[in-house]
Amino acid sequence: MKMNRRQLLMSGVAAAALAPMGRMAFAQAATEVVIGVVYPMSGSNAQIGVDAKHALETAADIINADYDLELQGAKGAGIAGLGGAKIRLVFADHQADPQKGRAEAERLITQDKVCAIIGAFHSSVSATVSATTERYGIPYIAADSSSPSLHRRNLKFFFRAAAHDEMFSKAMFDFMDAQKKKGKKIDSVALFHEDTIFGTDSSTVQQKLAAERGYKIAADIKYRANSPSLTAEVQQLKSGDADVLLPSSYTTDAILLVKTMAELGYKPKNIIAQAAGFSEKTVFDTVGDQLVGLISRGSFSLDLAAKRPFITKVNELFKARAGRDLNDNTSRQFTALLILADAIDRAKSVDGEQIRAALAAADIPGEKTIMPWKRVKFGPDGQNEDADPVLLQYVGENKFTTIYPEIAAVADAKWPMNA
Amino acid sequence: MTSAVLPNSVLANENAFASRRRNQLIIAGLIFAAVAALPRFVTDVYMQNVLILTLMFAALSQSWNILGGYCGQISLGHALYFGVGAYATTVLFVKYGVSPWFGMLAGGAMSAVLALALGWPCFRLKGHYFSIATIVIAEIGLLLVHNWDYLGGALGIQWPFGPDNWATLQFARDKIPYFYFALGLFIVTWLVTYFIEESRWGYWWRAVKDNPEAAASLGVTVFESKMAAAAISAFFTAIGGAFYAAFVAYIDPESVMAFRFSLLMALPAVLGGIGTLWGPAVGAAILIPITEITRSYAGGGGSGLDLIIYGTLIMVVALAKPEGILSIFRRSAKSENAS
Repeated sequence: MKMNRRQLLMSGVAAAALAPMGRMAFAQAATEVVIGVVYPMSGSNAQIGVDAKHALETAADIINADYDLELQGAKGAGIAGLGGAKIRLVFADHQADPQKGRAEAERLITQDKVCAIIGAFHSSVSATVSATTERYGIPYIAADSSSPSLHRRNLKFFFRAAAHDEMFSKAMFDFMDAQKKKGKKIDSVALFHEDTIFGTDSSTVQQKLAAERGYKIAADIKYRANSPSLTAEVQQLKSGDADVLLPSSYTTDAILLVKTMAELGYKPKNIIAQAAGFSEKTVFDTVGDQLVGLISRGSFSLDLAAKRPFITKVNELFKARAGRDLNDNTSRQFTALLILADAIDRAKSVDGEQIRAALAAADIPGEKTIMPWKRVKFGPDGQNEDADPVLLQYVGENKFTTIYPEIAAVADAKWPMNA
Repeated sequence: MTSAVLPNSVLANENAFASRRRNQLIIAGLIFAAVAALPRFVTDVYMQNVLILTLMFAALSQSWNILGGYCGQISLGHALYFGVGAYATTVLFVKYGVSPWFGMLAGGAMSAVLALALGWPCFRLKGHYFSIATIVIAEIGLLLVHNWDYLGGALGIQWPFGPDNWATLQFARDKIPYFYFALGLFIVTWLVTYFIEESRWGYWWRAVKDNPEAAASLGVTVFESKMAAAAISAFFTAIGGAFYAAFVAYIDPESVMAFRFSLLMALPAVLGGIGTLWGPAVGAAILIPITEITRSYAGGGGSGLDLIIYGTLIMVVALAKPEGILSIFRRSAKSENAS
């Protein structure tokens, strides 16, 4: 009996250690373009990674098969510049740990020979992954990591097509200024943010903008991410009772915030959220009835489909995989791969240096993407300055309408939200 | 009459003991030499990375074992010392251009002093109360760093890109230097444990672990023993933290001071055999490759299979061999002697 147990343990260990060996040495076919993807596939943000997988697989399908869509990079089957080569994605799990992200990036580069990497949701992981891609000389596309510090590190191989947090906050304050001009009363704001890189960055910019534009900060509350209780924090919000509440929270905290507000009987006059948790379907499935009228900044709006019908088709393809509509995160992930495919097509190569040059030269009009952006054109720091955010208002039953900027808007904002 | 017999038997025992110790050292030397030769066969960067992490956690767990294993003070807050080492080295290097080698020693010294300062109140607590106190203190440290702008707050600090250099411990692609550093750190912590094990401190620690009151009645200075164990343990944990910072070249509070680091330092020792010379190394050699490799090759699908394997392994060991994996060999050695 004892021998058996020991043998069992040892053989289990040996099997686990040897299992991957077989996969390591497979040869790379010339007709495929291998792209690495680093996302949280387990842990508290696993859903983000699973959705990203669906979004990127949808994009790869659109590139590899012949769809008739007005999207840059979608025409024809495979990548034309490489004789119709197909895209193959290799997914890796970083578990929100910068060290693991870096190790996975190295593995993707040295074992799977990827020609570029897309990632990573967490800005802290994007920081180490992009340092690794820089050292190996292949491009990194930060699809949805929005910390402004990322593009300020003089990296040659770092690209971000989407807006960073400062651009988002600026759009939020632009909107408030516009509301003020229309005669609405907005004197004070309350900042409510979690304490990781995302919340800290977000609140720093919001503090600065509030001071510049003359909004009084009624409360500035920093809380511990994944906190078990937000009662004390919500009490402070309630006593501050600002005209606009500006939360920067991830999914679980967002749900807890809304539940705690309901328990303590606090109804904010208006909420303009820094997306993240407030663009997650889970939040609206759980506490959506209390969020009608909430405004969230976004990178994406399905309302755009009215102007660009192909977005409906893309959304259907995504929905068939993921069982949900494209959202803020998934639309950016989807677009990141198409931008990369377009660059590889023009580079006619899978060499890191040449793809980098093609990305640096990219100039894609917004109309040929699914995003509400003016265009995709990277600055010398790798940031696309023309990625205009949108503001969306939740109207109930898992639906949003675009209310800002006017070019993309389909309705006027309901203000205050409980009116 | 009896005085002539006693010294002889004591002498014989001492000789047997000395030769056993010498053999241990020779075996260890052979194992270290074999591990040092590994990079000749493991050329894959990813696998080298796994080896480095394994050695690093073996060294960290060996440091933890000094306080948790030998002295019996189960600390679940060693992430604090790890973080102090990582932050001291990083801040001194990035902000003031001080060599990481010096920063590492400074971080180690800071951690040792911190351990003494925290030990002063905490070592008056016993058993679980002590463990809970260590968790709480480490969490306070995490919160402090989160909100301390000078230390980069939640943004963390990125090491600058520099040329490959032993002086700055920066190697862009090469993993071999990190491997030897981690191996060196493990050997040092092993040797420290080896020599302390049979020193006065070693016996005192085990006495304190078994029964502090009995130990005190025999003249063991219980409180001072615990303080010494804590300081030595914290010092080497901080060196490990400094190494991690140089290795990853980016630190933020969550990635060096989170609670899971405290667990990751204790787990290999618990799994391999707590309070034993080779327990931490055996535990790390099993735990780290399994977590890393299952995550990489089974984790990409989002099924959580890697975590299931990890959890199952810990459960199997806890149920089958609660004293750790090394106890398998100990029992067989005993039964051999009996037969």
